[in-house]
Amino acid sequence: MIQTMSLKIAIIGCGKIADAHVEEIRKIPSAQLVAVCDLEPIMAEQLSVRYAVPRWYSNFTRMLDEQKPDVVHITTPPHSHLALVRQAVAAGCHIFLEKPVAPHYEDVRNLLAAAGAADRKLTVNYWPNFEDPALKLRRLVDSGTIGDVVHLESFYGYDLAGEYGMALRRDAHHWVHRLPGKLFQNVLDHVLNKIALYLPDDNPSIHAVAYRGDSRHQEHEGSRLLDELRVIIQGEHATAYATFSAHARPIGHSLRVLGTLNTANVDFMMRTVTLDRKQNFPSALGRLLPPFLVAKDYFRQGLGNVNRFSHARFHYFHGMRRLLTEFYDCIENNSAPPIANQEILRVSAMMEAIFQQVYPEVLA
Amino acid sequence: MKVLVTGAGGFLGVRTVERLIAHGYVDIRCFLRDPSKTTALKRVSQSCPSAQLEYCYGNLRSKADCVNAVEGAALVIHLAAGLKGSPAELVADSVVASRNLLEAIDARPSPPIQQTRIVLVSSFGVYGVASLARGARITEKTPLETHPELRDAYSYSKLRQEQLFWEHQQNTGFELVVLRPGVIYGPGGGTFSNRVGLQIGPVFAFLGGNNVLPLSHVANCAEAIVVAGTHPDTAGQIFNVHDDDLPTTAKYLHEYKRRVRKIRSIRLPYFVTQTLATMLEAYHRRSQGQLPAVLTRYKAAAAWAGNKFDNAKLRSTGWRQLVSTADGMAETFRSLRLTVTMK
Repeated sequence: MIQTMSLKIAIIGCGKIADAHVEEIRKIPSAQLVAVCDLEPIMAEQLSVRYAVPRWYSNFTRMLDEQKPDVVHITTPPHSHLALVRQAVAAGCHIFLEKPVAPHYEDVRNLLAAAGAADRKLTVNYWPNFEDPALKLRRLVDSGTIGDVVHLESFYGYDLAGEYGMALRRDAHHWVHRLPGKLFQNVLDHVLNKIALYLPDDNPSIHAVAYRGDSRHQEHEGSRLLDELRVIIQGEHATAYATFSAHARPIGHSLRVLGTLNTANVDFMMRTVTLDRKQNFPSALGRLLPPFLVAKDYFRQGLGNVNRFSHARFHYFHGMRRLLTEFYDCIENNSAPPIANQEILRVSAMMEAIFQQVYPEVLA
Repeated sequence: MKVLVTGAGGFLGVRTVERLIAHGYVDIRCFLRDPSKTTALKRVSQSCPSAQLEYCYGNLRSKADCVNAVEGAALVIHLAAGLKGSPAELVADSVVASRNLLEAIDARPSPPIQQTRIVLVSSFGVYGVASLARGARITEKTPLETHPELRDAYSYSKLRQEQLFWEHQQNTGFELVVLRPGVIYGPGGGTFSNRVGLQIGPVFAFLGGNNVLPLSHVANCAEAIVVAGTHPDTAGQIFNVHDDDLPTTAKYLHEYKRRVRKIRSIRLPYFVTQTLATMLEAYHRRSQGQLPAVLTRYKAAAAWAGNKFDNAKLRSTGWRQLVSTADGMAETFRSLRLTVTMK
C-alpha cells in the first residue's frame, strides 16, 4: 500500500479570502488544515467554527510553535507579508502567499530572498493562470499555433458594488487605501501576471493613465478612488495593453493574445478559448464562413465545460486547487515551485512602475 | 440623558431616533458610517425643534471611532450590524464592532459602564429552531442555535454578537436589554424575507406556504426598542419583537402580486423543499461545493417549518403596535410599487 505524506497546513489571516483557501485545501487529500490564526481572535474563531478547523490562534508565534505546520498560507493584508514570511520560513514552513505580494517591489524581492535563503518554497496565489483556459492558452503558444506573440490585451473588470468593492468603500481604514497603488494594487496581479507569462522583458517600457470613472455611472457615491486604469507595455519583441475598469459592463476578465499565425481569445468568466484563424477561403466566403467556425469553437468549449461540470471540475476557484496541488507536490518532491520567482518579480516591477505614474505623490 | 444610537442612518435607525424623540429623549448622538445617510435624520430633527441630534461619523471596526461615539452616553441603542457581504465582513461588522463598542464604554471615565444601559437589537436568527418540532412556538425561552455553522453567516454573526454582550454583561455589570425582531419591513426595506421564499433566476420559489410570517413594521419595531429598551424593569431581559396581527407568507405574496407587480412563482410544499434540500446537499457534498448549499435540510427546517410566534412578553412592557399590519403592508407595497415603476 502506498502511503501518501500528509502536509500540515495553517492559515494566518482570517478575512474574506481565507474562506476560499480553506475550501480548496480541504479538497486536497494530501493536505490537512490544522489551524487558523488572526491577530483579531474573533476572526480566527469564526473561521475555525464555520469550517470545523481543529484549532485557532491569535498569536502567530504560538501557532507555529504548537502546530509546527509544513505550509503556512498567508492571507493577511500585504503590509504584513514580509515580516510573516520571514518568521514562517525561520520556523521551517513553506509559504503560499495571497496577492498582492507586498506594497513595494523591494519588499517582494526581500520576501523571495528570505524564502530562498531558508531553502523554503514560496508561491503566490496567481490562480487564474492555473484555470483550464489559461493552461490551454499555454499549450497553444507552446505548440506554435499562435506563432510568435506580437501583442497581448489583458482586461479585468471590477464591481465596486460587489462584496469586495463594498468592503473597501465602506471602510475608510481598509488596508487597500494604504497600498501605494490603492484599489489597482489589490487586483493588478491578475491583470499583469498573464502578460508576464508571454512578455519576458525584465524592464519593459510602461505608460499608465488612471482616472476616476464618470460619476453618472457610479452606482454608489462616496468613493474618491481612481477606478479606471489603462496601461501600455512595450517589450523588446511584443507589446501589451492592460486595462482595469470598474465601470465597463458586463464585468469581464479576458486575455487576447495576437500572434504571427493566429489570435487567441481567452475568456476567464465563460472559461473559453477561441481562435481567430488565418482565413484561406476565397472572396466573400472568407467573410461568410468564419462566424460559423467561431460558433463551432464556442459550442465545443461549452460542451467541454459541461463535461468539467459533470465531473465536478468547474468550481470558481478550481485554478487555485490546481495551483495548490502543484505547490504541495513540489514540496513533497523537492522540485521547483509552479510559479518562477522571476515571474513574480516581473509582475511586481510592472506594478511599481505603474503606481509611480498614477500615484506619484504616494511613492515619492 | 445622552443617548447613543449606532446605525442611526439605517432603515431601523431613523425610525428609532424618531420614536426616542416621541418618548421625550432629546439629547441623541446618531452614529453613522455613511454621511450621506444624515438626510433622513435631519428631516426628523426639523420636525421636532426641541430635539438635539448630534451626528457622529465613523466605523465601529475602528476603536478610535468607538471612543468618540460612546463619550457621555448613558443609554446605548446598538443597531449597527453587518447585513450583507462575505461571512468575514458580517462577523467584523457585527461582532468585532460590538466588542470595540463595549470596550470603549468600559474604558471611558463617565458614566461608568455599571450605570449604562445597553439595548442590543439581535435577531430571530439566533434561535435553534431547526431542532424543534414542526410548528413549534418560538418564545424567548426557545434554546439558542447550537450549530451556527449549519445555518447562514448572518445567523452566526448575530448569535456570536449576542453571546459577546452577555459575556461582557456578566463581567462588567451593565444593564442589558436584548430585542430579537422577526422580519422588519416597511417603506425603504427589503421585498421578501427568505421566510416567504427564494428568488432563483427568473422564478420565485415560494416556500413559506401558510406559515405565519413574523412581521415587525419598522415603526413598531422602533417603538419596541424604545419601550422595552428603556423600561425600568427590563434589565437583563430578552424580548421577541413582532406585530400582533401576523399574516401568512401566502397572504404576503398574494398582496405583493396584487399591489406591486406580477411575478412568476412556484409553490413548493415543505416535503418537496426538504426533498430538494436533501438532493442539493448530497450534490454539494459529492461535487465538493460546485453549487453552493443555499438550501439544506437544516436551513429549510429553520426557515420553513411553520413556527408559531408569541409577543406576550413584549406587550407586558406596555408596547403597543402603532401601525396595523394591513396599513403597514399597504404602505410598504405602495413604496415598492413606486420603486418598480421608477425602474
